[in-house]
Amino acid sequence: MSGQKKKNFQIEAFKHRVMVDPKYAEKTWKILEHAIQEIYNHNASGLSFEELYRNAYNMVLHKFGEKLYSGLVTTMTSHLGDISKSIEAAQGELFLEELNRKWLDHNKALQMIRDILMYMDRTFIPSTHKTPVHELGLNLWRDVVIHSSKTQIRLQDTLLELVHRERNGEVINRGLMRSIIKMLMDLGSFVYQEDFEQHFLEVSANFYGLESQQYIESCDCGDYLKKAERRLNEEMERVSHYLDARSLEKITNVVEKEMIENHMHRLVHMENSGLVNMLVNDKYDDLGRKYNLFRRVANGGLLIVRDVMTSYIRDTGKQLVTDPERLKDPVDFVQRLLDLKDKYDKIISLAFNNDKTFQNALNSSFEYFINLNARSPEFISLFVDDKLRKGLKGVSEEDVEVVLDKVMMLFRYLQEKDVFEKYYKQHLAKRLLAGKTVSDDAERSLIVKLKTECGYQFTSKLEGMFTDMKTSQDTMQGFHESLGAELGDSPSLTVQVLTTGSWPTQPSATCNLPAEILGVCEKFRSYYLGTHTGRRLSWQTNMGTADLKAIFGKGQKHELNVSTYQMCVLMLFNNADQLSYKEIEQATGIPASDLKRCLQSLACARVKSVLRKEPIGRDIAEDDAFSVNDKFSSKLYKVRISTVAAQRESEPENQETRQRVEEDRKPQIEAAIVRIMKSRRVLDHNNIVAEVIKQLQSRFLPNPVVIKKRIESLIEREFLERDKNDRKLYRYLA
Amino acid sequence: MGIQKDRVRFNVGGRIFETSSTTLANAGRNSFFGAIFDENWTLQSDHSDEYFIDRNPDCFAVILDLLRTGELYIPANISEKLLYREALFYGLLDHVRSAKWGQFDGNRLRLSESITGQAPGDGTAIRAGPDGGCCVAHGSMVHVYDWMLEEHAPITLDYQRVNDVGWIDSENIVISVCERLGRGDGGMGLFSSSTGELRDKFQVNHENQVKSFTAGALSFSSDYKIFSSCKGRSNEYGIGVWDQVTGKQIDFFYEPPGWSLGDADKLQWLHGSNCLLVATLFPRKDNCYISLLDFRDKKMVWSWSDSGAPITVDEKRVRDAIAMEENNSICVVNEFEDLGFMDLRSTAGSIRWSSRSRLMKGNNMPDEPCYPKLALHEGQLFSSMNDCISVFCGPEWVLTSRLRQSYRLRQSYGGSICDFSIGGDRLFALHSEENVFDIWETPPPPII
Repeated sequence: MSGQKKKNFQIEAFKHRVMVDPKYAEKTWKILEHAIQEIYNHNASGLSFEELYRNAYNMVLHKFGEKLYSGLVTTMTSHLGDISKSIEAAQGELFLEELNRKWLDHNKALQMIRDILMYMDRTFIPSTHKTPVHELGLNLWRDVVIHSSKTQIRLQDTLLELVHRERNGEVINRGLMRSIIKMLMDLGSFVYQEDFEQHFLEVSANFYGLESQQYIESCDCGDYLKKAERRLNEEMERVSHYLDARSLEKITNVVEKEMIENHMHRLVHMENSGLVNMLVNDKYDDLGRKYNLFRRVANGGLLIVRDVMTSYIRDTGKQLVTDPERLKDPVDFVQRLLDLKDKYDKIISLAFNNDKTFQNALNSSFEYFINLNARSPEFISLFVDDKLRKGLKGVSEEDVEVVLDKVMMLFRYLQEKDVFEKYYKQHLAKRLLAGKTVSDDAERSLIVKLKTECGYQFTSKLEGMFTDMKTSQDTMQGFHESLGAELGDSPSLTVQVLTTGSWPTQPSATCNLPAEILGVCEKFRSYYLGTHTGRRLSWQTNMGTADLKAIFGKGQKHELNVSTYQMCVLMLFNNADQLSYKEIEQATGIPASDLKRCLQSLACARVKSVLRKEPIGRDIAEDDAFSVNDKFSSKLYKVRISTVAAQRESEPENQETRQRVEEDRKPQIEAAIVRIMKSRRVLDHNNIVAEVIKQLQSRFLPNPVVIKKRIESLIEREFLERDKNDRKLYRYLA
Repeated sequence: MGIQKDRVRFNVGGRIFETSSTTLANAGRNSFFGAIFDENWTLQSDHSDEYFIDRNPDCFAVILDLLRTGELYIPANISEKLLYREALFYGLLDHVRSAKWGQFDGNRLRLSESITGQAPGDGTAIRAGPDGGCCVAHGSMVHVYDWMLEEHAPITLDYQRVNDVGWIDSENIVISVCERLGRGDGGMGLFSSSTGELRDKFQVNHENQVKSFTAGALSFSSDYKIFSSCKGRSNEYGIGVWDQVTGKQIDFFYEPPGWSLGDADKLQWLHGSNCLLVATLFPRKDNCYISLLDFRDKKMVWSWSDSGAPITVDEKRVRDAIAMEENNSICVVNEFEDLGFMDLRSTAGSIRWSSRSRLMKGNNMPDEPCYPKLALHEGQLFSSMNDCISVFCGPEWVLTSRLRQSYRLRQSYGGSICDFSIGGDRLFALHSEENVFDIWETPPPPII
């Protein structure tokens, strides 16, 4: 200005722009650049934050934001270049530690630089869409340090090497691993994925591929699974200690694929230690492990286990039900079935997590093999009979329920539920008439269960039997009350009046009752018919029992508990010392087969026969002679003479029962056909068969051939007719 | 923070201030005060026991008070702009903004300022931004103001007449303009609100061909879609849908015969029912059409029209409509500011006009009437008529407040209100004449 003043009267043109010192920007930037250097050199103590902040602010304010930003990029890049070199120079083990230390330094420096440049970060950067300072610092670190040609591969290899060493049992510095991995994640999830995770997964796949190959050659299935499980847990632990949580699924998938999925079949079918072996030996731990590991395999891991288990159960079950040895003892047979079921129930609940699909597989297997043996319904009924006669004595109510529930479970598997019903009725009748039932509650409880399972119709007759028993008691009470005095000292009589139809009575010839008995019987008959008009009584002597007081040769007194037939025979010896078979048969009128059985039990018992037979032998012949055995002795006062009874049905009887079942099925099938046709009017053969089977399968599985016969019979009786045009179609005739 | 004692001494431009570190902690880490007390920087205070800051002490006093109390009091001798600049230096501009005005309540609004612009002619639309700024469309220009009411670079798309404008977020504005015949110009564009630069231009495709079009009303959905009513030259009328992120057209709802979509004056995205309200009201068509569109199965799920309705003596024509999802109804308004309601749950709806009306029947109609507009904000219903805005509340929509410039402040009176908008806890009202708009704010809550 002073120079201008000397030129007089020359007026300087008004300057529109106030010029800032042209070196201002450069000077200010030098101050800031120096500060950034000092920060990286850990020498920030001499710096004034306020001054630096103000300088950066002024640069932005005076439109030097671009210079400030590009200066920052250049300075930081060159610093990171130096850092990268010092990291590359680190030897061996120190490499990661150096990297980590420099990373922490850089983070701290970045924070301080950002503090200084905060104003630029807030105003200049958003309006020019540049990368914010913090992100810029991370990006530069990634590009200059991590992706430098020497570091990138070395870092990868070092990390993978450490993981490998840890897998081989060495202890590594997990803290250091964690901070390095965290660095990669901070740089962006794609950096972590590309620079580490992807290679980590590849290396792991190779490692486990090899290891599983080794293990499967040298270990048995149980050990292998233990090892696989341990490896899986190790990897999960690794993720939780120093990897990104999102890697969990990926690495476990690798282990699952390499260790389980690739060897699935071999593991299941491994000889001496595979699935079947585990099932046989109830190895719950191994089975549980297998289940949990195979469940992780996406496509069909459990399917294999389930299929193998199913076919094994079917095989063992089939062996069990078709083994002729087993058929000899029905109670044992059923008990074995229950044991088998218990065994697998336990396996499924302990090892297979109560998996529904396994339970279903078990049920279908049982259904399959139980019905392989046509006698299963009979045997199950016999089992119940055994339990209710004696098996449940002294057992608590809850335990009774448990046994009954198990029986019901087996019952559910049966296809021929009507056959079971038939046998059950017979056995129940015997129990009721002989008064052998242990617990009335247990009996009723089972009936209730059957009722809920199969409906009212199924049990109505069984319930009728119970009602008869109750009414008979009342009738007998009435009889004794009204005629008590008249009866005097004649033998006491207990009559059970059974409704025809409810009971499985067999038409049997009545025998000649002894005169003493006959009298009382007649009195009862007239009493009963007197109170109930329009009824008919017939005596089922083959089903009764009697208590006899007998005095033997040396004066021993005994009370003999015998069947009605036996009673008739023994009463003959009140009037005779010796009788021949013929005489007995004539006097009693008992059918020959029954008489023989009854004489057998009286005379042919190994010890303590009531009668003596001439000649001695096991079989009864037409010309044998019998006399009272005076030498009979027993420690007990009351003696029960057991009948030689058919516990299990003999073959012909069995045939007969079958026959009857088939007969009973006919009307049921016909009823079903008529029901279906009534609603459908017209239907073809296959559909009728399918619908009939569907309707009846809760009771039994009808045979299509039988259904066809029933249809033909219905056509004959003009319930149905064949369509005139299409012979396959049937038409309902109203 | 690594300071030992709680007391802190500042020397700001020569004036000494003492405060506590807890007060300064209110500034947050991401500010000048947050950084200066970070342990990285604490060593510098060793040689003196005070921090020197080379800034304006008067403004520092105001800002320090803001940190102490959370409330903002600007003395008369300090200009707001100066204070804002100082706050920006300290990184505390957001603190100032949130203390400047209170949470929006239609019944406690006070007129804060009126701004006069230079644009010639009438205003078209005003839209409030999410952080307290606004933009005003005049003819072919859109003027953008930030929350400090500083004007930024104006926005224009090929200098075509602007039909609607809207904020996607505080940084992005979409405008829709008329097409320029034969040039392929016009349509829709996305602009930066701070610099006014064009970031994206939206195109409409019909049968794989890019067509020029006139974009009408706009609406945005929370799942990053933009809707606009579109008029193409060859009957390509309907509602276009674009993706905010990619800028690509993703859907087009063609106008069915006998209905009107492409001429719509108002679009409203209904978040709860995933539908778009489209209303064509006046004056381009003789009849009014209101419909709800479901884009997922391309169906008109609700519709109403007055076409074919008998013209009665006291003809009531719908001038604006707004859907109120919480009440399952649509509110409409006629030129006399009568409110009417329609049930969204029944399709054969007719309008139930409320009998409140005719409060202003005494007034003479202004020469150039502005038709009423409606807005809904957190259960409060707003309608504009002439130079005032009414506020309605409650289930029966009772009139609770009326916003009007008081007569003594009429120096910047700009005639009837042609548009208004609520957002960023502010209400902006644009007058039809004189290029004036008003800013209404709720004052901060009382001291006790």
